[in-house]
Amino acid sequence: MEQQLDFLVDKVVAELQKKLGEATEQAPSPKAETGGLIQLRSEPKAEPVASATTAPTQAPVANEQPAPSAEPERTTHVPNPKYKEGLDELLSSTPARIGVWRTGVRPLTKTMLELRRDHAAAVDAVYGEVSQAVLDQYSLFTVETQYDNTENYLKRPDMGRVLTEEGVRLLQERCQKKPQVQIVVSDGLSAAAVDANLKDVLPSLMDSLKSYGLTCGTPFFIQGGRVASMDHVGEILEPEVLVLLIGERPGLVTAHSMSAYMCYRPRKGMVESERTVISNIHRQGTSPVEAGAHIGTILSKMLEQKASGVKLVL
Amino acid sequence: MDEQWIQSVGIDVGTSTTKMIVSRLRLGRMSSTFSLPRYQIVERQLLYASEVHSTPLIGFDEIDADGIGSILAAEYNKAQISLSQIKSGAVIITGETASKKNAQHIVHLLAERSGDFVVATAGADLEGVLAGKGAGAEKRSQAIQGVIVNVDIGGGTANAAYFQRGRAIATVTFHVGGRLIRLSPQGVVQYVSPNIQQWLSAKGLRIQVGQEIGFAQLTEVAEQLGRSMLDYLTGKERQVSGLLVLGPHLRDSIPVAELTVSGGVGLLMSGPPVQNVSDASRYGDFGPLLGYVLQQEREKGTYPVQWLDPDQTVRATVIGAGMQSTEISGSTVHIKPELLPIKNIPILKLELTEEQLADATRLRQEVASIYQLGERLFEKTTGIPFALAISGIGYCSYALLQTLSQELSEQYRASFPESQTMVVICETDMAKALGQALALRCKGAPEIICIDQVRVEYGDYIDLGEPISGTIIPVVVKTLAFDERP
Repeated sequence: MEQQLDFLVDKVVAELQKKLGEATEQAPSPKAETGGLIQLRSEPKAEPVASATTAPTQAPVANEQPAPSAEPERTTHVPNPKYKEGLDELLSSTPARIGVWRTGVRPLTKTMLELRRDHAAAVDAVYGEVSQAVLDQYSLFTVETQYDNTENYLKRPDMGRVLTEEGVRLLQERCQKKPQVQIVVSDGLSAAAVDANLKDVLPSLMDSLKSYGLTCGTPFFIQGGRVASMDHVGEILEPEVLVLLIGERPGLVTAHSMSAYMCYRPRKGMVESERTVISNIHRQGTSPVEAGAHIGTILSKMLEQKASGVKLVL
Repeated sequence: MDEQWIQSVGIDVGTSTTKMIVSRLRLGRMSSTFSLPRYQIVERQLLYASEVHSTPLIGFDEIDADGIGSILAAEYNKAQISLSQIKSGAVIITGETASKKNAQHIVHLLAERSGDFVVATAGADLEGVLAGKGAGAEKRSQAIQGVIVNVDIGGGTANAAYFQRGRAIATVTFHVGGRLIRLSPQGVVQYVSPNIQQWLSAKGLRIQVGQEIGFAQLTEVAEQLGRSMLDYLTGKERQVSGLLVLGPHLRDSIPVAELTVSGGVGLLMSGPPVQNVSDASRYGDFGPLLGYVLQQEREKGTYPVQWLDPDQTVRATVIGAGMQSTEISGSTVHIKPELLPIKNIPILKLELTEEQLADATRLRQEVASIYQLGERLFEKTTGIPFALAISGIGYCSYALLQTLSQELSEQYRASFPESQTMVVICETDMAKALGQALALRCKGAPEIICIDQVRVEYGDYIDLGEPISGTIIPVVVKTLAFDERP
């Protein structure tokens, strides 16, 4: 989906450039100088052209298979940089929007469109829903919190911490009680994060539990969950340790970032300092497979030390 | 654990001098508590630097092992340090000494007597890189746009290393050094290294053992030698000056912006003017004169480079060896502590492209062919035949991880059934996940060691130290040859 948006941005900018046309003679010259980079960029763009025509029907599916070029080649818009290699080095050191150039005192149209696109993706992530196919793939059944709807979820964090009566009943019916490790997945503030990362984090975490010889209860999905919903789950299922994989508040760098909150004997009244967290799990951040493997290590240390949060020695 | 110090030692046995240093390296956590742990060496402190001793030799071509042993014992004593405290470091036998007949024996003997994880090595390329780091050229290269070359001129050889943006990009070694021509105080030539004969005749210079050489004639030789080396380094001329090159030549000319000269001769550049034969021969060789003529070249400014003072001169190599040789791997790794340390593992490099990663059949072929190469190159062993370095993996999904670990482990077990340990080095942060996937498949036969975030190249050797606080592995990469790289 992001790729299609990228394509749209490029298309809009191309149109604008055509219209402004001859007014800016300088525009093509920097392109010629940075020919190599431009060409590299144009390759992955060939794909979205094909898919864009069928975009409306494919849109929901496209979300399940995030763009293959996850780290799009970034290039500067500075027309004639004095030290191009240095600028490229800076660009590769950060995902921040640097080297964007300007028109007058304002950003370029392309920069503005990209910013608005990323902001829109962040909003979509909050209002989106986790794909049922992803949940089915790992046989996760769904319980809800008392969030009711997304507007309310945003206004009333407390309601996202308590499961509905129906949810409690489902857990009691379907979940193994007092497991050693309980895995819970929740959309939190970004459903897109679950869609994008669960398939890499969860199996890697399962492998890790296996190599540490840990046993795992019945995993499930919480819709409309907040971090502290793990306390309520702890009351009901009484696991030794619990890990909650939850979508993070989306930002302008990525809307697909996930966190893993871990807790030893979660229960009501837990303080935040008793939770251990690995955050920023996404393609460009903490590697999802590596995070999955490391979560297993942390859980095994929690079981060893019977502690979590600031008391846990890693 | 947020901070940890490790002690590291450097020992440099050169053609004319031997020195030793003790340093300590601070490992600091670079990542926030909300991220995967990542440690780096954040500080390197010099604790002790020995005097510069003359290298004890027996005759012309044998190192006096006992002599070096007693120098070191005394220095360890003075530094008030015991061997068990040394966690890392390197022993280097440099220059012409390395080709002396018992060098290999000595270097291993020293490594064993110097601490648990001290690397023994004798390679001109590594020496040049370490000297460049010790002289500050690597650090300087991060602050400038162009290339900086440091040349470390010792008694027997001069090791040059080119750095660009913090990375060593090339090395070259010359037969240029202070002790290539030895003199009596009266100016009688006592020794001329056979390694420069060809160059001397190409230049039409005559100098012979037993000859009483005039100051003018000796200066001419020193000037020509210095200029030839500078010609080669700056790419001005490489036909005749190439005769001085020991080992592989530079592949192409590298434009050089800045130059530093370290080593004993580097120190002599700032010495008093050399006016006559007795000034020149004060160490029994023409080293002082060589330093002096280089200083004059610097003042004349004939070469289009900016000359800079190095951070270190005579101790550049030993400081590089002691303080700059150790790296640490990424902190999420898969290891068996009881299998470490392991030393001198050659690198076999598996470079994968996106197409190969996307296609399981091609990936299988690629792994098969690299293992075949491994079988040809390295002897069968029950230990570790090689460390497989994997590069080219951008983003590793779980599905890719499975395919990769399947191919790597299955074929490894078929091709190297006697090997009890498999070592894998990844470029990107994925060692724990890959190690875990491999271990689940191999179930201990072989055992898996998988580390990441260490850059190695084909032709390197690697040493892995004992883990510090569980998961931090000190790593020394011994770069042997730059020019063999594709």
